[in-house]
Amino acid sequence: MSTLETLLQQLFNALSVGSLYAEAAIGLAMVFSILNLVNFAHGDILVLGVYTMIFGLAAGLAFWSAALLGILASALIGLFVERIAYRPLRGAPDVSLLLTSFAVTILIENGLILFVSASPRAFPLPPYLSGFVSLGNLRLPVIDLSVILGAFLLLLVLTVLVTRTSIGIAMRAAASDLTGALLCGIDINKVIAFAFGLGSAIAGVAGIGWAGRIGKIDPFMGLEPVLKGFVACIFGGFGSIPGAVLGAYILGGMEVLLTAFLPSEYSQYRNAFVFIILIIVLLVRPSGLLGKTDKEKL
Amino acid sequence: MRRLWLLLIVLLVLTLLAGACGGAKSTQSPAKAPIRIGGVFDLTGDLASIGGPNANGAMLAVEELNAKGGILGRPVELVLRDSKTDPVATGTAGTELVEKEKVVAMVGLVDSDLALALGPVCEKAGIPYVSSGATSPKLPSQIGRTFFMAAFGDNTQAAAAAEYAYKELGARTAYVLWEKGIEYTTILAQYFQERFRELAGPDSILLVDFYMQGDPNVPGQVAKLKSLAKQPDVLFLASEPDDSGPVVKQFREAGFSQPIFGGDAYDTPLLVEVAGPVTDVYYTAPALLAENAGTELGKAFYRKYVAKFGHPPENAFPALGYDAVMVLARAMEDAGTTEPKAVIAAIEKIKDMPGVAGNLTFGPSLEEHTPKKQVAIIRVVNGKLTLAAMYAPEKVPAP
Amino acid sequence: MNRRSLLSALFLLTIAALILLVVHLFAGAYWTRIAIVIGIYSLLAVSLGLSSGFTGVFSLGHTAFMALGAYTGALLTLPVQVKQSTMQQLPGFLATTQLHFLPATLLAGVLPALVALAVGPAILRLSGHFVSVATLGLLLITREILLNAESLTRGARTFTGVLPLTNLWWVFLWGAIAVYVSWRIKRSAIGREMFASREDPLAAQALGVSILRARLLAFVISAFFTGIAGCLYAHFILAFSARTFYLPVTFEVISMLVVGGMGSVSGAVLGAVILSGFKEAVRVLEPGFAIGPIRVPPIYGLAQIAMAFLFILFMMLRPKGLLGDREIGGLFWWDWFRRRSASLVERS
Repeated sequence: MSTLETLLQQLFNALSVGSLYAEAAIGLAMVFSILNLVNFAHGDILVLGVYTMIFGLAAGLAFWSAALLGILASALIGLFVERIAYRPLRGAPDVSLLLTSFAVTILIENGLILFVSASPRAFPLPPYLSGFVSLGNLRLPVIDLSVILGAFLLLLVLTVLVTRTSIGIAMRAAASDLTGALLCGIDINKVIAFAFGLGSAIAGVAGIGWAGRIGKIDPFMGLEPVLKGFVACIFGGFGSIPGAVLGAYILGGMEVLLTAFLPSEYSQYRNAFVFIILIIVLLVRPSGLLGKTDKEKL
Repeated sequence: MRRLWLLLIVLLVLTLLAGACGGAKSTQSPAKAPIRIGGVFDLTGDLASIGGPNANGAMLAVEELNAKGGILGRPVELVLRDSKTDPVATGTAGTELVEKEKVVAMVGLVDSDLALALGPVCEKAGIPYVSSGATSPKLPSQIGRTFFMAAFGDNTQAAAAAEYAYKELGARTAYVLWEKGIEYTTILAQYFQERFRELAGPDSILLVDFYMQGDPNVPGQVAKLKSLAKQPDVLFLASEPDDSGPVVKQFREAGFSQPIFGGDAYDTPLLVEVAGPVTDVYYTAPALLAENAGTELGKAFYRKYVAKFGHPPENAFPALGYDAVMVLARAMEDAGTTEPKAVIAAIEKIKDMPGVAGNLTFGPSLEEHTPKKQVAIIRVVNGKLTLAAMYAPEKVPAP
Repeated sequence: MNRRSLLSALFLLTIAALILLVVHLFAGAYWTRIAIVIGIYSLLAVSLGLSSGFTGVFSLGHTAFMALGAYTGALLTLPVQVKQSTMQQLPGFLATTQLHFLPATLLAGVLPALVALAVGPAILRLSGHFVSVATLGLLLITREILLNAESLTRGARTFTGVLPLTNLWWVFLWGAIAVYVSWRIKRSAIGREMFASREDPLAAQALGVSILRARLLAFVISAFFTGIAGCLYAHFILAFSARTFYLPVTFEVISMLVVGGMGSVSGAVLGAVILSGFKEAVRVLEPGFAIGPIRVPPIYGLAQIAMAFLFILFMMLRPKGLLGDREIGGLFWWDWFRRRSASLVERS
């Protein structure tokens, strides 16, 4: 393959990996923007959605129906977790919520091991999603194309949602100033529940993309998406959804391009490079590239 | 607030009480008192998908032994504990088994790191410990004379892979991809490279690359290999069980049709489930457990497993769990006693004992506590597993 | 320090030492192990409390210091022959030295403290959860570096052959020192500055408190003791890798602090004792038990689930922890002891 072709292939890879991370990051950013909570359980909500989908498929549902079921399940579980674990803690310091989300993660993982199985399961893709498209020497897996398309559609829908619908605008208001929104008569509980439900549904979508690319699911697969989404949000700024998406593409791009183009001795350290860049970003712009500015700086 | 304290204290007392009272106590006479063998397995945590089947194999062995009258005429009891895939919990469980449950021997664990947490406990107590799946050949010298392995060492299986690829598949150049973050894949890849270079020359490894543990998304690595001017004859992809399917799938989908070789971690239904009906994928394994393929012992074990557990063995690890218990049983019968030193000596004298995962031969030196075994080379043909060979490598890299 | 608090501190120390003596002499290996585990976790909790509890800066990355301490300590105590056979690429000084446990442990604390000193000024300026996020980044970076620095750490491979040097007395010694240091700091001027910076940073600054200095001091000292705990841990489990020091341990230590009371030294110890004890008690039950005629089947994984439930329960009912910022230290018990003995004397 010529250098140009390699470059294009790697760019495509970067785009698809970035889209995957973006799908994972959006839900995190959404919840954070309103509640100041980094919801670590986001990853496991994703896992439960995917498991539901697998059960749906096993019960005979078609691929897309099962997918819809999985996304719905994620949304409902997200709502449930919010109601049971986070709402009682509404006034507590941020840290308590963060730690509680850790605890929820442990509960879900061990629950899955107990009630389903620790063994990973295959995630079957329908034939039209399993092939690839050839463009000259480039091989573009269909699933990757779908992920990219999915992320794009998601962003489109979300943008319309937060700018044109009342609930979307209410979400932005709550993200900007929770108390102010309350004073304007916005039902905070409804808005938060909506954000959680929507964010969790998006997590379900991310889960399908993730499982589709890797081909298998297991109780622990939620950690990877949540960490990647987390880092993406740090890059792009926690309070901002476009920021999270930007951060995700930067992260995906860095990972793929560092793997591809660093000589072997250095590519070993590529993850360290990514994190060091992360720390530098945090130092220079602590709220990330597009995030809410930190009001207190000491 | 008082209520919370009260609740806490009540909870703590209840659990301590239950722990103290729980567990059956044997009321039989000493001559017929059960032989208690301790088993620490990864029933929860990251390795649960292997540890569970591993324990099942051991349980099957104990059931069989008891059906035939036990060991030395006494019933056998397997006292199970969960390692939680955590070294602290493993050490605590091991200490509990040795001190409180007074087991006379130990089996269990598939991970070398965890075996290193359990081994010293058994070494200190002087009781024999046969690991049902740890593969690092350095373990006996790290732990001591009480430690034995039921599985071949990683150096053995990597050497078998290298030799088979060179001799039977005619490979002269290779590509190596390894999973970074765990010991098993790191040393497997290293042993393979060492043996392959010995056979095919110092330049025979065209490219070595890695991916991070838990993240088997490798489009970058695939593209890098594609961009090589000279393509390798064989791809050695060292992954852990959960990642082998995805990795193999991505390489095959990218158009690489050369033989792919892996380690015993490929021995999982996920390989074919995820990668699809691939062909020309080889891997080394303790055994091939199938209904209509493999050795006679393998087929018989397959049937017994299905009969007891209602589904086929998930991978070859039940065979290792089974063999570990049988090694102890054979040694105790040979020695005529359960006294630890005698049992250890008896294990060392075992030669060519038939096992579900191959014949086992031990010896008195620490190196020989890693058994000499043949390696099953399994070949995937259009998604079906076949036994390509039972292969004993000629030369094995030093641990 | 006045005479009363000195006496009460000595009193506590003596009681603790007596309990340990009993355990050492009469309890078997099992209970000794439990005691050591509780001790190491107490040390971790107290150290974390010093930084996160006192200053309110929630560090999610303290496990990085634990890892650094573990590797440093283990590298320094490893016998030279073992180094020659398994770690040929160690730089000159390390390859030829083998230190005694005490200096090795000290250095295992100093290295993380230096790292904390280096990164602290940058990270600790941030506020609220940004700091937590940055410290988590620190953990991830440290893990990466440890995984890659193969000549020093064997990378992803297990670091084995560590000498079993940890015993009950070392754990007790370092635990007592950490408790003492934390307690003194809490009652000192700099301690009050730390709490002030936690409660209301703006007001504290207005009063002339240097928030950065208070936080940095807490961070560095906390890193020192966490490193020591890591060294003790390494010489207890005898084999570890970069994987060992990751999120599960982080969560466990944080839970202990949360349960016991974030701003309290005795709370940290209490939290460690309660959670470790509870976890072990439930683990013992996992293989199945009987309450009267009812036989409960094995439920593996129950310990982890129970811990998570307990944590959530505490979060909801008592988010400040059992003790909050209060202490049940020496004074408390000393006064109790004196009152009881006084009433006994009266009656006789």
